[in-house]
Amino acid sequence: MSKALDLITRVRGVRGAMLVSTEDGLVVAEQLMEGIKGGAVAALAASLAGRLGRAMEAAGTGTSVFWHLQAEQGALLVVPGDASGGILVVAVAEPDVNIGLVRLELLRAAEAVV
Amino acid sequence: MSPQTRAVESWTLRPLTDFVREASVRLVLVLTPAGQVLAQSGFSRAVDVMSAAALAAAIVASTGELARQLRQQPFAALSHQGPKTGFFLATFVTDRGTLAVLAAYDLDVSSLGLVQLFYEQLAADLKAATPKGTVPKQVLAADFERELTDSLNTLFGR
Amino acid sequence: MSLVNFTSREITCKIVYYGPGRSGKTTNLHYVYGRVPETRRGRMVSLATQTDRTLFFDFLPIDLGQISGFSTRFQLYTVPGQVYYNATRRLVLQGADGVVFVGDSQARQLDENIESLQNLQSNLLEHGVDVRTMPLVMQYNKQDLPPELILTPADLDDALNFRSVPSFPADALHGKGVFETLKGISELVLKKLAAGSPTV
Repeated sequence: MSKALDLITRVRGVRGAMLVSTEDGLVVAEQLMEGIKGGAVAALAASLAGRLGRAMEAAGTGTSVFWHLQAEQGALLVVPGDASGGILVVAVAEPDVNIGLVRLELLRAAEAVV
Repeated sequence: MSPQTRAVESWTLRPLTDFVREASVRLVLVLTPAGQVLAQSGFSRAVDVMSAAALAAAIVASTGELARQLRQQPFAALSHQGPKTGFFLATFVTDRGTLAVLAAYDLDVSSLGLVQLFYEQLAADLKAATPKGTVPKQVLAADFERELTDSLNTLFGR
Repeated sequence: MSLVNFTSREITCKIVYYGPGRSGKTTNLHYVYGRVPETRRGRMVSLATQTDRTLFFDFLPIDLGQISGFSTRFQLYTVPGQVYYNATRRLVLQGADGVVFVGDSQARQLDENIESLQNLQSNLLEHGVDVRTMPLVMQYNKQDLPPELILTPADLDDALNFRSVPSFPADALHGKGVFETLKGISELVLKKLAAGSPTV
C-alpha cells in the first residue's frame, strides 16, 4: 500500500497521496508533506465523491473513473479505487502539476490496492 | 441559524450553529457529563433532548469507567455507523470542566470524517468561548417557594 | 448539578431514586409516567436486563411548567439496586440534586435497606458530596403487604432515618405515596436552589 502511494508522491509537484474510505471519509493510508491536513482532505474527497456519484447516477453517465479539482493554490486528483467505490486514491498537488502523469500513477495505485 | 438550534448558555450558540452548518449534522447536543444540556440543535421537544442527553451522559460515564478500570485515559471519541445514520460522541475539557458533544448525521449528506473534522473546530471554538472567571451568584425571586408549591400541586393534581 | 439559567430562565434538576434491589424504584417511575399528562413528560428510557431488572438506569424527564417565570424540568433516574452493580450506581448518582431513598418495608429486607443507605453515603462521598448536604427523602414502600411481614413507618424511621428527613409510606404499585414522595423531594431540591442558586 505504501509503495503504491510512494509512486504517486514521486511525481514532481505532488505534495501528498492518500487512500480514503469513501463511506466514512477517514484516511486509510497517507504519505503527505508537512502542512497538508490529511483528515480535512479525506473528508472533502469522500464528501465530493458521494455527491458526485449520486449526481452522475442521476445524469446517467455511469460511475466516475477519475476526477480533477483545480483550485487557485493546488489541485485534488482522485481515482475511485474499486468498482464498488469503497476506496478513493487521492493526490494533493501543486496547481501546475502534470495531470496526465499523476492520473497514470493514481490508476496504477488503484489497481495495486484492490 | 437553524430555527431548531437553541443554547441554554449563549456563548455556545455561535460555535454550535457553525458546526451544524459545516458538518451537515442532523442532531447535536452539547452537554455536561451529568447529562445537563448547554445547547442543542435539531430536536423538537425539550423532553426528547433530556432523554438523549441522559443516554449520551451514560455512555460517557460507562466508557470512562471502563477506561479507568483498564487504566487508560478516557476514550476521546466514539462513533457508530448504522445503515443510514451515524452517531459521534466525544468529550473535551474547558475552563468550566468537561463537556460532551453528541452528533447524529445522515450518511448521504455527511460522513464521520467531516463530523470529526468540524468537531475539532467546535471543541476549539467552545474552549475559546467559555466565559472566564466565576459566575456572579444570582438569586431566584422571593416568591419562588410559594409558586413552587402551587406548580407542584397543579402538576400532581393534588 | 442543577442547571439554572437566568438568561433563558430555565431550571433543570436531577433526582435519583436509590435503594436496594426490588424495593420499587422503577415502579415509582412507571407510576409517574402513567399519571403525568403526556405534554408534561418525555419518553421513559429503561436500560434493563431481559428479565426487567434495571441494568444501568431508568430515566423519565418531566416538565413542571413555569415556576416564578422559570421553565422548570426534572430528570428522574433510578439506579440498579443489585449489590454488584455499584459502578453503574455511582455513575448515575453523579450530579444528582436530590435523592429519594426507596426502602423495602418488609422486615426481612431491613439489612438490605441499611446496606443500601450506607452504599449511598459512600458513593456520594466518592463524588465529594456529604450526604448531610444532599436533599433526601425516604419512601417506605410495600406498606400494602400484610402487617406481620412489614415494619411500620415509625419503625423504619427509627432504623433508617437518622437525619429525620421527610419520609413517606407508599404502595408504589398502586400509586399510594408516589406523588407525595416526588413532591417532597421536589420541594427540598428547589428550596435549596432558591436559597443559593448554582449557576452554570
